[in-house]
Amino acid sequence: VSRRLRAELCCGLLLAWLAPSVVAAQSAPPAAPTVPPDEAAEASRWWLVAGGTFATVRGDCQTCEEDFPYRHAGGVLANVGYRVNDRMDVGGELYWMPTDTAQGRILTTHIDAVAQFRPWASQGFFVKGGTGMAYVRNWVDAIGPDPINSKAWSVVIGGGWAFRPAARVGLQVFGAQHVAALGDLQTAEEDIPDVVGNFWTLGVAIVIR
Amino acid sequence: MTFNLLTCVLLLASTPALEPNPAKTAVLRIDPQQPFDWKAERRACEGCPRRSVGRALFQTTMINVFYEAANLIRGQVTARITPATWWDNMAQGWVWDLDDFVVNQVGHPYQGNNYFTSGRANGLSFYESAALTAFGSGTWEYYGETNFPSVNDFINTTLGGIALGEMFYRAAWLVRDTRATGRGRLWREIGATALDPVTGYNRFRTGDAKRITDKPADMVPSTLAGLASVGVLWRGSETRAIDAAGQPFLEMDLLYGDPQTGQSRTPYDAFGVRLRFGGGSSFSEARVRGRLLGQPLGSGKMQFTVMQSYDFQKNDAYATGAQSFEAAVGMTQPLSSRTNVWLMGWGGLTVLGAVDSLPLGITERPEEPEEPDAGQGVSEGPRFYDYGPGATFGGLAYFSRDRHLVAAFFYEGRHLYSLDGVRANHFLQRVRLDLLLPLRGSFGFGVSGEYFFRQSFYQDADRTQVEYRYPQFRTYFTWSIE
Repeated sequence: VSRRLRAELCCGLLLAWLAPSVVAAQSAPPAAPTVPPDEAAEASRWWLVAGGTFATVRGDCQTCEEDFPYRHAGGVLANVGYRVNDRMDVGGELYWMPTDTAQGRILTTHIDAVAQFRPWASQGFFVKGGTGMAYVRNWVDAIGPDPINSKAWSVVIGGGWAFRPAARVGLQVFGAQHVAALGDLQTAEEDIPDVVGNFWTLGVAIVIR
Repeated sequence: MTFNLLTCVLLLASTPALEPNPAKTAVLRIDPQQPFDWKAERRACEGCPRRSVGRALFQTTMINVFYEAANLIRGQVTARITPATWWDNMAQGWVWDLDDFVVNQVGHPYQGNNYFTSGRANGLSFYESAALTAFGSGTWEYYGETNFPSVNDFINTTLGGIALGEMFYRAAWLVRDTRATGRGRLWREIGATALDPVTGYNRFRTGDAKRITDKPADMVPSTLAGLASVGVLWRGSETRAIDAAGQPFLEMDLLYGDPQTGQSRTPYDAFGVRLRFGGGSSFSEARVRGRLLGQPLGSGKMQFTVMQSYDFQKNDAYATGAQSFEAAVGMTQPLSSRTNVWLMGWGGLTVLGAVDSLPLGITERPEEPEEPDAGQGVSEGPRFYDYGPGATFGGLAYFSRDRHLVAAFFYEGRHLYSLDGVRANHFLQRVRLDLLLPLRGSFGFGVSGEYFFRQSFYQDADRTQVEYRYPQFRTYFTWSIE
């Protein structure tokens, strides 16, 4: 290929590249409703949260000498409530955690009244706290196949980060600590006094407002 | 004493006064007559504090640092915190503690009141400050002491702190006169600082203590009534007749706002507080009832109210304390052209209550042996009171003639299910009747009868039931302000 032909091809490509061409704008997507976040949230006063958790649990008592183990398990957490304003939600919380041990199963269900609060309305950071009841079904040390059922006073504190806090559907990651103060824990052999269970939880949940 | 010390430390720690930064100095050199752009300063109103969430969090943490330093100076071994003790506390989780009744039922709520007012002093709302109180309480329990974090302290500090905090915050605003100048203004600001040290510190620090403004509108109550009673109290018990030697007491009642009528969504725009000194112990009673929500029912004759309450009683016969939420229905009924009666009944839940208790078979509290191993500040028990949640209900009838209270009837029942301590259901009932006679001007004379009846249903094998009865009688002189 001669030098002249190469020069003509290069010029042609350059011209073709520089040549004006007919362009068309992409078809515009359907216009999103221009509703401010606050107004969007005004549409609903519901506060719904549902998610899964990973938790560590440990039971202890005031007079016990022994060192109790930490046990790990998954769990489920849900909130249903009312959005008071763009910073605060109040409602009920259900937290359920089954724990399998070598001696048997322990099912714990916390039902609490909770308040969740975001100090900065534009940020996702939130804290929450509440109190209620916990129900423990305990197959450990039980006589026969039926569990021993116990009621407890429950306290929960926690915090986390909500992604898209002003949107209708969002996501949150959180950490929480649930406490179940049982009083006496009934077992097959004896009643153990002043038992407290601590549940440290990390979780992810979908939030609908 | 604690709050005075706290005020001094906060004032001494006020660096802006010593700071050469001209911008900061300019803030302090305030011309009281000079208008300022309060909206640009993130204030909700001209007389409102500047809003800063970050500063509120910082001051709450500094309050923890202050209490920790005070405990360290007092030589308490529980104050010798390290990162290792923080980790131990986090690994242990919540426990019940064995501290003294007054420490848990008064000391912790007072500390919580400091957290709460640090929120209010930095422009946070009631509910924002409530969350801040929980933050301060939680961080104190985990990181402020070597003791394991105590769930009873957390509840008492948070809920008691909210009730006392909003009460002190509003009471301090009653003392301030933001239109005054000179020495009178200064003394009022100092008096308010004694009630609410954190807000006082912030007002001196920012120059608000000198600025001429209107008071924040929501800090001006619709009505205000107070009654101070000085007299002598005689108390009996189930083991002895009424003691012939009376015990002097000073009782103070404050009714802030009108809890009887109106639609309200402003927490504590109406509250009642009673404090009693003497009468069985140096500080024998504190009751705070704050309205969280008020709503007229039907034609407006009836009033629905949601309240938060804080209770503390301790005398030489019994001790009780509680953090509760109650729903009430009330009405005001004219009996004649000059006489009215205000009736109210309520029921609610006690989040955490405490009542003095002895193990079965023991009638006198034993002398506590010296604990050679325990360092100062370490409580190793035994603890002679029980903790637990429960329910509460009650009613009152206040008769007034020409707008002066002439008779007051009060009944309260409280159930506590003991979760920590001696296992029992405690049922506490208290009825009180006051008759008041106006003497001259704002002075009067009163007599009062009270009966405290307690039943404890122990969960032992025999299901033992024990009853305690404490009648009381009082005479007193009153001074009322309206």
